[in-house]
Amino acid sequence: MIRFILLRIFQAIITLIVISIVVFALARASGDPVMLMAPPMATLEDLDAIREHLGLNKSLPEQYWIFLKNLSHGDFGESIRTRQDVTHILWQRLPNTVSLGLTSIVLGLVLSLIMGVTSAYKFGTWMDSGVKLIAILGQALPSFWLAIVAIAIFAVWLGWLPTSGMGTPAHFVLPVLTLSFFSLPIFTRLIRSSMLEVLDSEYIKLARIKGLAEKWIIWKHALRNAIIPLLTAAGISFGTIVTGAVIIETVFAWPGIGRLLAEAVVSRDYPVVQATVLLVAIVVLFVNLVVDITYGYVDPRIRY
Amino acid sequence: MENAGLGSKVAKYWKAFCRFPVIPITIMTFMVFVAIFANVISPYLPDEMSLVDRLTPPFFMSGGSTAHLLGTDNLGRDILTRIFYGARISLSVALLVIAICSAVGTTLGMIAGYLGGRIDSFMMRVTDAALAFPALLIALLLGVALGPSFFTVVLALSALGWAPYARMIRGEIIKLREEDFIAQARVIGSGPITILTKHIFPNIVNTLVVLMTMSVGLVILVEASLSFLGVGVPPPTPTWGAMVSEGRDKFATAWWISLFPSLAIGLVVLSGNFLGDWIRDKMDPKLRQL
Repeated sequence: MIRFILLRIFQAIITLIVISIVVFALARASGDPVMLMAPPMATLEDLDAIREHLGLNKSLPEQYWIFLKNLSHGDFGESIRTRQDVTHILWQRLPNTVSLGLTSIVLGLVLSLIMGVTSAYKFGTWMDSGVKLIAILGQALPSFWLAIVAIAIFAVWLGWLPTSGMGTPAHFVLPVLTLSFFSLPIFTRLIRSSMLEVLDSEYIKLARIKGLAEKWIIWKHALRNAIIPLLTAAGISFGTIVTGAVIIETVFAWPGIGRLLAEAVVSRDYPVVQATVLLVAIVVLFVNLVVDITYGYVDPRIRY
Repeated sequence: MENAGLGSKVAKYWKAFCRFPVIPITIMTFMVFVAIFANVISPYLPDEMSLVDRLTPPFFMSGGSTAHLLGTDNLGRDILTRIFYGARISLSVALLVIAICSAVGTTLGMIAGYLGGRIDSFMMRVTDAALAFPALLIALLLGVALGPSFFTVVLALSALGWAPYARMIRGEIIKLREEDFIAQARVIGSGPITILTKHIFPNIVNTLVVLMTMSVGLVILVEASLSFLGVGVPPPTPTWGAMVSEGRDKFATAWWISLFPSLAIGLVVLSGNFLGDWIRDKMDPKLRQL
């Protein structure tokens, strides 16, 4: 088991190095950053001075090494647009995204558990069809549009909730609901199909013959086994949440990492983009590492 | 599983297509038609502005006129025309991306599955990483580095999109590799390339077609999200995602600007998903867990 964990950590580090090389290479492909930073009246000497200051006059491997060294200190450089320290901006924005993301993941999980289990248990009834319809629509409708519609209905027409920004608990309602919709269809479909499989098994029949209450059979005996495939999906769907955060935070003007990234992309603020992408990469790799290890722990056949 | 000839394959496809889902196929055919003939059937030019007619509502509302069936946007551009032209972008991006991803993914999957061993496990780790990483992030990164263009969008969507193909095809190859007919082909002296292309490939076509159809909706959705965030195909080319974004602030008063393009996205994605599900059930039911 220890060997398995160490191997996985090693692989994660290799992946991270590959990603950092890609990010670094693309930074150099994005054109001369000096031209973006220098004022329009700058002379050639000024440009050289900026290059010297940024270390851009060194060779590429040397630059990559400096880039890595700075990263290990948590130094991501400064934003081209606002001239602020990127690490500082990230730390400022991170809690907002974490609170939004975690609430949405929990809500999405709870809703999809209820919906998936109900639709499997009531297989073939109108409730099953209803859940399937929600899942199919949820996968097809663009979620940014869903967010806009939600704002139009609940904030503009009914005036129940604020349109955007954050502050009061009421500000959380719409972003959390729409963001949880990103993972809801996949989770619901997954729980439904694995629940259908488990409900058909011998040990559930035995539990029924034994005269156990249906409530116990469904929520304890069946769900325990049906939930295992969800673990693998959790790792992959974490990426969906990240994608969702970028879109939802943009629509709701939520001051988190996602909106920071979207704004930086539009203004081509490369230092901010590369820092955000690296940060997300680290988190995604870490989540998948944890999922892998948990899976190896739960199911010994996976260890290799 | 035998090495099926071309004739029996066609017969099987024909059988599958006999009971087809009418509505999704109609929608898809209509969209393809619209995309190809956008310049013929559109009543206006996509960037033709008319400030007198700005924010005209659709024809069924008071104040609307049949001159602009679905109304106009903030600059007086005809929404219907822009949706027709937007179909070009969405569908051509989807077509190109799926072609690239399936070609790259199949090749890698075949190599990994056939060779096995170290190469296989290395390639599968790379595939795992590509699967876990959010595609939108790489797309945004590329959008910034290379600047927004049609080519950037295609590249960005293909950058990680090959991974599901590689993973699935590799699994199929590993199963097929041990079959008797492959061993027999080896006995008569066929090289690895002949075996892969002539004996193995015909047996994975079904899986490949299913995967390709199922990804149409996803590709169109991600493309729309990119345009929505401002890193898609740049203006003045009309894209559905960008149209939704333009109408965003006016949704309470001029909802038609973003409603109709998002309906177009929803309809295409929905029919793509239905077609994918249906083809999967017909041709490769064991993929149902997907």
